[in-house]
Amino acid sequence: MTNSQKNKLIDNAFKIFGVACTLFGLIILAILIYDILKTGLTRIDWDFITNLPSRRAQKAGIYTALMGTVWILFLTAIIAFPIGVGAGIYLEEYGKKSKWANFLEINIANLAGVPSIIYGLLGLEIFVRAFNLGGSLLAGSLTLSLLILPIVIVSTREALKAVPSSIKDASVALGASKWQTIWNQTLPASVGGVLTGVILAISRAIGETAPLIVVGALAYVPFAPSSPMDEFTVMPIQIFNWVSRPQHEFAVNSAAAIIILLLITFMMNGVAVYYRNKWQKKIKW
Amino acid sequence: MTHLDSELKQIKQQVIEMMSLVRSQLAKGKDAVLTFDKDLVHEINANENRVNAMELNIDRAVEDVLALYSPVAVDLRFVMAAYKISSDLERIADNAVGIAKYINSVDRQLAQKNLDKIRFTEMYENALTMLDNVFEAFEKEDTKLARQVFIKDALLNEINSNAAHIAIELIHAKPEKIHNYLYLLSIIRKLERVGDLTKNIAEELIFYIEAKVLKHQKTTNP
Amino acid sequence: MKVEEKEHIMTEPKTIPEINKKALIEARNVNVFYGHFQALKDINISMNKNSVTAFIGPSGCGKSTFLRCFNRMNDYIDGYSIKGEIVIDQKKINWKNVVIEELRKEVGMVFQKPNPFPKTIFENVAYGLKIQGIKDKSFIEERVIKSIKDVALWDEVKDDLKKSALALSGGQQQRLCIARTLAVEPKIVLMDEPTSALDPISTASIEELMFELKQKYTIVIVTHNMQQAARISDKTAFFYMGEIIEYDDTKIIFTNPKQEKTQNYITGRFG
Repeated sequence: MTNSQKNKLIDNAFKIFGVACTLFGLIILAILIYDILKTGLTRIDWDFITNLPSRRAQKAGIYTALMGTVWILFLTAIIAFPIGVGAGIYLEEYGKKSKWANFLEINIANLAGVPSIIYGLLGLEIFVRAFNLGGSLLAGSLTLSLLILPIVIVSTREALKAVPSSIKDASVALGASKWQTIWNQTLPASVGGVLTGVILAISRAIGETAPLIVVGALAYVPFAPSSPMDEFTVMPIQIFNWVSRPQHEFAVNSAAAIIILLLITFMMNGVAVYYRNKWQKKIKW
Repeated sequence: MTHLDSELKQIKQQVIEMMSLVRSQLAKGKDAVLTFDKDLVHEINANENRVNAMELNIDRAVEDVLALYSPVAVDLRFVMAAYKISSDLERIADNAVGIAKYINSVDRQLAQKNLDKIRFTEMYENALTMLDNVFEAFEKEDTKLARQVFIKDALLNEINSNAAHIAIELIHAKPEKIHNYLYLLSIIRKLERVGDLTKNIAEELIFYIEAKVLKHQKTTNP
Repeated sequence: MKVEEKEHIMTEPKTIPEINKKALIEARNVNVFYGHFQALKDINISMNKNSVTAFIGPSGCGKSTFLRCFNRMNDYIDGYSIKGEIVIDQKKINWKNVVIEELRKEVGMVFQKPNPFPKTIFENVAYGLKIQGIKDKSFIEERVIKSIKDVALWDEVKDDLKKSALALSGGQQQRLCIARTLAVEPKIVLMDEPTSALDPISTASIEELMFELKQKYTIVIVTHNMQQAARISDKTAFFYMGEIIEYDDTKIIFTNPKQEKTQNYITGRFG
């Protein structure tokens, strides 16, 4: 066999291997989704969404958990967005060369690797106890903000980095200050990338369970929260709670809730993808 | 108009100026011969310096354009033509000076009948017309006009080739005037050179405008 | 971190001796370092008002570095330091009290690759005025139109001022970038290989533009294209290994250079 034939064989073998790997992941996901849909789809109706939780599986709904998730999503976004983007801008545009910036950078990279339960404990100690916020929405979203900050910071930096330096050069060469350049050129040009990163980070946050359990999100909250200081629960905890019950009906409930949760995350990811594409199309350097 | 265009236009202007100066030098040469006016000779000599300076100016302008603008195609041919035309013009002016200088060597005015016999005026007029044609052709970039020069040059050649016999006849008739007749013959020879140089200019012109090389081709009517 | 605080910038303005009154830009004993590497050695040069000066030389000879000293674009580079004086319009520009933003309004720059902002054509040209805090709309509009006309782009874009500048062709983009620079009305326009990314027709139109601009501005251009330097500049400086080997009228440089190195470079017999 000649060398080129051998190479061709290896080429093909690797191609098949790659296809198999991809299919493996997809098939598992498909089975999972199929199983959940089969169990839970029939349970979903308007009542399921608007009912308060109940001891009886048939009457129980996800209203409080859904509202809790929406609150958490909203609060986490308004907390994490300015802080994360601000930190990203500082690290990318201002603090590039100092030792201090290097130190910060390494620590942010480390933070991204910390297990989420640790963030929960941190939140419990600082927000719940030291700040005396209790098991409130605010404490929960602050904790989740901490959790997603590294992601927001890193994706902001990537988006800023993608803005070509020629644009910044042109701006400063016209007499613009650093801030004018960032505000008028760098940020508008990178807004799509920044938003994509933030949305993806938040969609990760709404799936988190462990830190919120530690912070004190309750499994049973009789009413939907109406202010940031209220007690709350979120979808993943509701699901966790239902799954841990012996009755089959609750298992069906949890499958239905999973479908709703998946829908929310898919939607957010979809929005993120849409923004990214739109941004990429709009700007061709 | 591009910058190169304006440079080329300037060179063309310089060449046209040089042409009119050279033509007036040659015309004065004729008057000097006919009127035996030594002041004219002096004037021609004085103007020769101006002609030389003009040639140097054109040379320098051509060098600059070649070095700075690296012209191509028609621009390149124009610059090359201008360079050669200026050198041809300078030599025509030299001949004019040469003709004028004979006045100083001849002891008295040449007899009109002898001049007529050797067809001096006819030849001179013809040479001047040739110059006029070629100058106009250069200004208007008219190759048709330039080609007329080739036909007219034939007349100069004819007069020139007959001139020797006529000079011999004249010398036989009045051997003591051999001096003057030899000078006369030399003037005729110089006019013939002027005709050749004018023809060269016409060839350069046609090369520049039509990119055709006519040099060293033995056709009288290309 | 403020660039003004770097230690390389001289802390006190020295009185400036023997100023060449005609010179708009003057450099005296300029030495530039990147870390330990010396990029420019003892540069002395003066450039007159309303002239085009070309910097030529092989890659890495320091010509772009020197150009960027005039609007202090090098300040952002790690390890950069400069010694000596650069005087523009009788003012020393490389000491710490100079407000860089003010300097750059006087000394505009056009870059190698056309780099319009991803905004409309109008906004691109108006940008320099807006960041100066000018609010007067009719003034801005007037200046924008004038600048676009100055670069002979008006007929091509007058109906598309609200369209994205990125939709223009490369040559149009570069002319737009020049218009953007002119809108601020600088005294000096620095051009760093402004046509190296353009096709010959666009290049020719920008070269022609430079003759027009010379009436009002002083232009310094870095070019790799020797013929371009020959065509457009009044004076040419030949840089080699961080030194100016020869600086003279362009006609002299290209017909009778005094230095053998210059001759070898312009005739393509280098090295």
